[in-house]
Amino acid sequence: MSHYIPPTHEHDIDPVDGRMALVQGQPTFHEITEAVAKPIDSPPKAWWIFFLVSVSMLGLFGLSVAYLLWEGVGIWGNNIPVGWGWPIVNFVFWVGIGHAGTLISAVLFLFRQKWRTSINRASEAMTIFAVICALMFPTIHVGRVWVIYWPLPLPNQMQMWPNFRSPLLWDVFAVSTYFTVSLLFWYVGLIPDIATMRDRAKTAIRRFAYGVFALGWRGSARHWVNYEAAYLLLAAMATPLVLSVHSIVSFDFAVSQLPGWHTTIFPPYFVAGAIFSGFGMVLTLMIPLRKWFHLEHIIGIKHLENMAKVILLTGTLVGYAYGMEFFIAWYSGNPYETFVFANRALGDYAWAYWIMVSCNVITPQFIWFKKIRRSPAALFILSIFVNIGMWFERFVIVATSLHHDFLPSSWAYFSPTMWDWATMLGSFGLFFTLFCLFVRFLPIIAVAEVKAVMPQANPHYHPPGHEDPDLTSSASGTVQSRDDHAAVKTAVTSGEESSKVVVSKASEPDDEDEDEDDEDEPDTKDEPIVADEPEPEAKAAPEPEPEAKAEDAKQEAAADDDDDAADEPEDKPLFSKDPADKPLFSKDPADKPLFSPPSAKKDDKADDGDDEGKED
Amino acid sequence: MPQIFPRWTNNIPIAAGLLAPIIGIGLIFAVWYWFSPKYTDVGYRPKQPVPYSHKLHAGDMGIDCRYCHNTVEQAAHAAIPPTATCMNCHKQVKTTSARLQMVRDSYDTGEPIPWVRVHQLPDYAFFNHSAHVAAGVGCASCHGRVDKMVVVEMDQPLSMGWCLDCHRNPEPNLRPLDQVTNMNWDVTKEEYDPKRDPERKRQVNPPTHCSGCHR
Amino acid sequence: MPKRPKMYGLLAEYETPAALYKACERVRDAGYGAWDAHTPFPVHGLEKAMGIGPSLVPWIVCVLGFSGAALGFGLQYWTSVIEYPLIISGKPFNSYPAFVPVTFELGILLGSFGAVFGMFGLNRLPTLYHSLFNSKRFARFSDDRFFISIEARDPKYDPDKTRKLLESTGAVAVEEVED
Repeated sequence: MSHYIPPTHEHDIDPVDGRMALVQGQPTFHEITEAVAKPIDSPPKAWWIFFLVSVSMLGLFGLSVAYLLWEGVGIWGNNIPVGWGWPIVNFVFWVGIGHAGTLISAVLFLFRQKWRTSINRASEAMTIFAVICALMFPTIHVGRVWVIYWPLPLPNQMQMWPNFRSPLLWDVFAVSTYFTVSLLFWYVGLIPDIATMRDRAKTAIRRFAYGVFALGWRGSARHWVNYEAAYLLLAAMATPLVLSVHSIVSFDFAVSQLPGWHTTIFPPYFVAGAIFSGFGMVLTLMIPLRKWFHLEHIIGIKHLENMAKVILLTGTLVGYAYGMEFFIAWYSGNPYETFVFANRALGDYAWAYWIMVSCNVITPQFIWFKKIRRSPAALFILSIFVNIGMWFERFVIVATSLHHDFLPSSWAYFSPTMWDWATMLGSFGLFFTLFCLFVRFLPIIAVAEVKAVMPQANPHYHPPGHEDPDLTSSASGTVQSRDDHAAVKTAVTSGEESSKVVVSKASEPDDEDEDEDDEDEPDTKDEPIVADEPEPEAKAAPEPEPEAKAEDAKQEAAADDDDDAADEPEDKPLFSKDPADKPLFSKDPADKPLFSPPSAKKDDKADDGDDEGKED
Repeated sequence: MPQIFPRWTNNIPIAAGLLAPIIGIGLIFAVWYWFSPKYTDVGYRPKQPVPYSHKLHAGDMGIDCRYCHNTVEQAAHAAIPPTATCMNCHKQVKTTSARLQMVRDSYDTGEPIPWVRVHQLPDYAFFNHSAHVAAGVGCASCHGRVDKMVVVEMDQPLSMGWCLDCHRNPEPNLRPLDQVTNMNWDVTKEEYDPKRDPERKRQVNPPTHCSGCHR
Repeated sequence: MPKRPKMYGLLAEYETPAALYKACERVRDAGYGAWDAHTPFPVHGLEKAMGIGPSLVPWIVCVLGFSGAALGFGLQYWTSVIEYPLIISGKPFNSYPAFVPVTFELGILLGSFGAVFGMFGLNRLPTLYHSLFNSKRFARFSDDRFFISIEARDPKYDPDKTRKLLESTGAVAVEEVED
């Protein structure tokens, strides 16, 4: 869409193809609000089904934890030599899942990856819920849940302090800090959107509930300054944090002196695996969600594709780590290390090992194919395999390293009990219940952030129609240069219309030279600008500049309008939405249906009312 | 949009900001104080099946602790005396007292008297009476003035921190080895330096590492 | 505010970020102090158009972040070296390399508290009641409209002149807001 790209913002070009707009179909700000808020007002049926299934699984979790407290850890399959059975497998699995959210929020924020805005809210929520699930497992694994506060450095009658030299204690600090910071990050991002929900709430209860959590947010520019500083700093702090957390989780293993665990590659290997599994889970959640909640235009194919690429990268890193472990086992000449790895691939748990390798190393390789990584259905299936594979990775690490220890007489084969299964399935119930509640009551898209990356959010982005000298002069060099560059007309039009028109105008260069350049060399650096603007153009092109505007406009503006009209036939093939022209500009066939129907739109365009019909 | 909240609600954040640290610190203090054995355990005084008075026996009549708790010098455990120990005297003394009926029944049937245990350490804490007696820690240091108790109660918290206080600095609680069971020997008043006591073959060096007590 | 005047001030509504941006420059140049803009999302560069200085949040984060790290290391040093020196795995009491993770995590934790609660403090949030919420029109600030509010307590405030100024900036509506 209309992505008007001022020259100073060249780096904002989309990382994937540098052309497609982040939000498709040129919605207005209001339409974004409505698209996100609608499922909250009336959830789809699928939600109820999903919620009931999740809650019953949560019940299973409650049951198994209650029985665990009653009976003790003996109900699980953990026993010497495999003292860390499924609880720790599940812990590491969930912590890994919990990494994508902050990665998307913080790391991509720092790298100015604007596509994050569509998915960051839901993946942050996923992070928080996954970390809650993760924290459950060590908590119930200690056996005496009621003294779980002991790892905290609180003054106590024992005059004891935690052992700060233990990686398990680092874990307590790392995971709880991670949880707290993720929660704060998530909540800070939510405040403006909760205010949006508050302001459109119909019932008193909703107004009160959203009102409390919106903290009286009133979008003040003075507040935004502090808000953005805080958000940036949170991102800056969460980035090293997210890397530290899974490194520390890997220290739980790597710092012990057990062949198969005692490896320096563990921290990066775990971090890559965590991002891999986290993005896998994000895809698993987002692909159905965008469909059920009709958010395909906000969470576009491009977003899925970008995530798929991250999965490909991290999956390959994980595959490299698998290979390197074997190399080191051989190269070290350490017989114990060699044995553990031979045992891993060929021993009792070979089945688990090969499930892990096929899911984690082979599955992502399909993403090399563009068709696959742009197909939501294919990605959904791949993401399920990623989830399975990463669970097995944790299982392989825990079980194969422990079940054959140094004393052959104590060798054993770990197998889970019914309660292991119940607790694991139950943790999925906890996760999905929380997630269901989240999508039911909170905006799953960061509304304010999505609006901010839309082209019309740029204060130097002006509707076509007439030039406003005041504006041009006042708005510093940026405007000037932009005008030079893209030959944008500025005009103050009114209402949503303006945003529409704006777009068109920006692209609709009155300077014929520019246009011609584009036409001649569609692949030059200018292309993004042109390519971004097909729809708007399509809309704008047929639009006769409204009389009212023309009146307001200065003389030159009027002249420009005339020019535009004159240019129209030329421009049309360039920007038109007509199917025939498509190949030229439309990069993404999949997105096509999302665009507003071209011809009807065009006609509407002239009227003010055109916006209403368009998105929904 | 109408106002959702009345004006006074703007004071809530300030109040919350002021109260939050107080509540937080208060909570930690509450756990530290009310959850500690100093609060929960000291003064624990269960009703015993037989109204045996330590004040009468150990205090007024001056029976030595070791007469009944006879293993205390040799074993980890300070024995609860069997009914036979009671009957050493009560065959002659108060033979018809109704309050001693249970003792006589126990003696006749061989069924032990169900004394209620007052001092109990957790199973994971290893405690040896003989080591402490041999080091010259008086009975009264941990059990209080039992010779003044009609019904025995816990005098000290027996918490880990309390153990550590003494293990880190044992001197103030040491006494001459022949005064261990002397209830009237007050460590706070008597001048005693264990380092100059010729009776002591070696100086006390209590462990403070984990496996000293958690074996 | 020493004494609340009856009127809170004037509220002007704009339809695009561009119009708001331009209007903010005008209001800034007119020399007002107690005024604000209200937008559904952070408008890029608006703080310059309004003449707002840089945020103080980074300083709060800096101070709290480093004190968090210091606190973290201090806690570990005090507990492991002073309060309960205990030999664990034959390591020295002050095994500072092992103290790095917790030091780091506490630095991040307090830094984040600084960022979030510092932001709340500077923004005086939560402010559940605010005079601007008296305006019906204002509810759209969180959706798709852009507002400028000029408070009556501003010394330059004059109901008529200020209204004229706002109207001349292309506001689609200007209204008085009760306190």
